[in-house]
Amino acid sequence: MGVWFRVEKGWHIYWKNPGDSGEPAKIQWELPPRFHVGSIEWPAPERLAAPSIVDYGYENEAVLIAPMRVAAGLKNGEKETIAANVNWLVCREICIPGKAQVSLTLPVSSVVRGWKGSASSADVAMLIGARAKVPKPLPATWKVSATAEKNDFVLTIETRKPERAATFFPLEPEQIKNDATQLATPFSRGVRLRLQKSDGLLKPIAQLRGVLELGAGTGRAYQIAVPVRAVAAENR
Amino acid sequence: MRKNLIMGLAVIVSAAMIAPFAWAVRVNQPAPDFTATDSNGQTHHLSDYQGKFVVLEWTNRGCPYTRKHYESGNMQRLQQEWTAKGVIWLTVLSSAPGKQGYMTASQENAYLKQENAHPTAALLDPTGALGHLYGAKTSPQMFVINPQGILVYDGAIDDRPTTDTADIQGAKNYLNLALEEAMAGKPVSDPVTRPYGCSVKYANE
Repeated sequence: MGVWFRVEKGWHIYWKNPGDSGEPAKIQWELPPRFHVGSIEWPAPERLAAPSIVDYGYENEAVLIAPMRVAAGLKNGEKETIAANVNWLVCREICIPGKAQVSLTLPVSSVVRGWKGSASSADVAMLIGARAKVPKPLPATWKVSATAEKNDFVLTIETRKPERAATFFPLEPEQIKNDATQLATPFSRGVRLRLQKSDGLLKPIAQLRGVLELGAGTGRAYQIAVPVRAVAAENR
Repeated sequence: MRKNLIMGLAVIVSAAMIAPFAWAVRVNQPAPDFTATDSNGQTHHLSDYQGKFVVLEWTNRGCPYTRKHYESGNMQRLQQEWTAKGVIWLTVLSSAPGKQGYMTASQENAYLKQENAHPTAALLDPTGALGHLYGAKTSPQMFVINPQGILVYDGAIDDRPTTDTADIQGAKNYLNLALEEAMAGKPVSDPVTRPYGCSVKYANE
């Protein structure tokens, strides 16, 4: 199930970690009995820069999807209504909170027909497209490691070939300085990414969790959760 | 004459040095001193308030997150409560001219009266110098400086990053906790939190 946000040009909504300002959209589902819904599977965000800050979110459009399990024992031809109370914040220079209740009534069918009938093939394509934008698990043959230096974290991503560009989106606030440039250095087996620590980071962190995007706007986004190893202080 | 010219140059250079870099203020370190003018034309230096607790509150009257705390009366209550206990409460407006939240001195005074707000003073910072010095990112964002001039809190007003006034009740108010703990001579349990809200409407770089 997905909620489609069409955002006016120049405006944006926010990712799960909104970055320096803003607030992620919230969806409260109203489901028929014994239907279950999981949490939102957030598409990979973009970096949105404003004076002195960087936010993480979406321009133009975003489809927020969540996995849904229907009740057992439904009968073909019955209709079920799924509703969602949606709250969001949309910003450009200024921010405006919004809310809406949306709903969809679909017939029960035991045959997978690409949702023919109540949902158009355009809806199907949209959901497939939305799923493709959700960051994937890291391929098993890749390696990611992280070290903590005095002022920076260094992520090393080994994909077995040089990677030109990489961007990290942190899931936790106040770990990295959002508005600092992320310096990507390609090497033969991958790329190193230097992330400036947040000024608000007071203690060492155990791991960096977030989304890693390789290339720029390529849709190659991966979920990572990597332990952070402290580098021994240099001898002086 | 020559001396004046040299001093003039020094001022320009230091102003230019501050603007492009967000000065890294860090909790448990000395809070940087500043000079700022309030909506009554009075000058304030942080160093004037050695020996007192100081709260800095970044504001923007048009921001829905700021409005949540003013329309509910929450911010005014906090201002009243803490200034009554001797805290210096400085509300800071870093919106650039033409941007949301920018106010002239008389507009701000009218607004303070209308909202029945009780800060010690409202500092007008249209150049964003003070905002950049402290690295203020959102409205509302709160800082607490102890009587020794050490920054002891930097972050959100509470733990409910929403625009809904219903979320004020039951929220964990980080500002209150920081002031209560610091006044009791204890370390602040949550000295840094993610400030939530609208971005501060600085001049475009």
